[in-house]
Amino acid sequence: MSAGQAVFSGWMEIADKAEYDEARKLAEEQALAGLVSQYVGTLYRVAYSVLRNSADAEDAVQEAFVRVLRHRETLAEVRDQRVWLIRIVWNVVLDRKRRMKTRPETDDVAELARVLPAGGLTAEERAAAAQHHARVLACVEQLPAKERQVLMLSAFEELSSVEIASVLGITESSVRSRLFRARNLMAGLLDHTRSLR
Amino acid sequence: MKTEIRDQRSEIRSSGSDEFEETLRLIARLSAPEGIEERVQAGLRAASRTNLGRGKILQWPVALRLDNAWMRSSLARAAAAAVIVAVVVGGGWGIISRVQPAQPARAIATPPRVSSQGGFSSAGAMRTPQTLNGPVVAQPAVAAPQTPVRRGKSAAAHKSIAQPAALPAK
Repeated sequence: MSAGQAVFSGWMEIADKAEYDEARKLAEEQALAGLVSQYVGTLYRVAYSVLRNSADAEDAVQEAFVRVLRHRETLAEVRDQRVWLIRIVWNVVLDRKRRMKTRPETDDVAELARVLPAGGLTAEERAAAAQHHARVLACVEQLPAKERQVLMLSAFEELSSVEIASVLGITESSVRSRLFRARNLMAGLLDHTRSLR
Repeated sequence: MKTEIRDQRSEIRSSGSDEFEETLRLIARLSAPEGIEERVQAGLRAASRTNLGRGKILQWPVALRLDNAWMRSSLARAAAAAVIVAVVVGGGWGIISRVQPAQPARAIATPPRVSSQGGFSSAGAMRTPQTLNGPVVAQPAVAAPQTPVRRGKSAAAHKSIAQPAALPAK
């Protein structure tokens, strides 16, 4: 180190810090890109299960990752990033759902017929299946919010009851009791719709 | 009894649960649309750029940066420090020399006294005592001054005005 540099050693720390910040920022961006490629599919499915519109679900996923970008400094402190991300996207979709008008059943039928796998069904069978799924989803919409949320998240095989509890911020026993109530209510609602037909 | 209720509940569950859980599972297993990852990454890059634009860091001009050669000379740094000190001291002295200390008031203004019984105030009016009329000196009667009699036409006219014309003797 030359004499000039030695004199400015205190000041030169600023440049080192800037380099360090730059490196840290790069690392955070790479970590975020890794999270996107790993969990974008899961987050999309969670968002779609609530919003039931692919464009809205994609927007919600985007918004969730932008929120992550804003708080990227805390990324290293997060223990379970998957559950953390699902929790973020869950809050985003609930906000959006609150602001949106209720979707009519006909919209659901058209959307489900478009996105659900055909699996060798004829066009008529596919339309009938879409109608059936739309009816089921209409019954799900009639459930109380707490029960509905647990029921929807329970459909995701990758989420255990502990993780559902973590996403919703409740205890595991509450998840179980709500799930039990939701299933009973759903059975009653489906029986009722069947008797009306 | 309790076991019967439990059985009924489990029956309800088994009858309907397959139906709706199948629908929910189908949705939960949906594959994400093509290219979603790229779109999200692009959106994040755009958001990141926007964030950087918002929090712009101020930078020194090139001439004042640390890596500039002239800043490494101790003489130049001393001169710069001297200039800063001179500016600060000069500015302070300029302010002190211009600002005059407040002078103490020479007369104390007292508010008009309000009578303790209330009522109207005099609004600061001052009473002046009436002055007496002094003795009036009477002017002595002055006799009309004798005017010299003028001759000629004008004198005759004057006479005719002042005195009635003498009656002609019969």
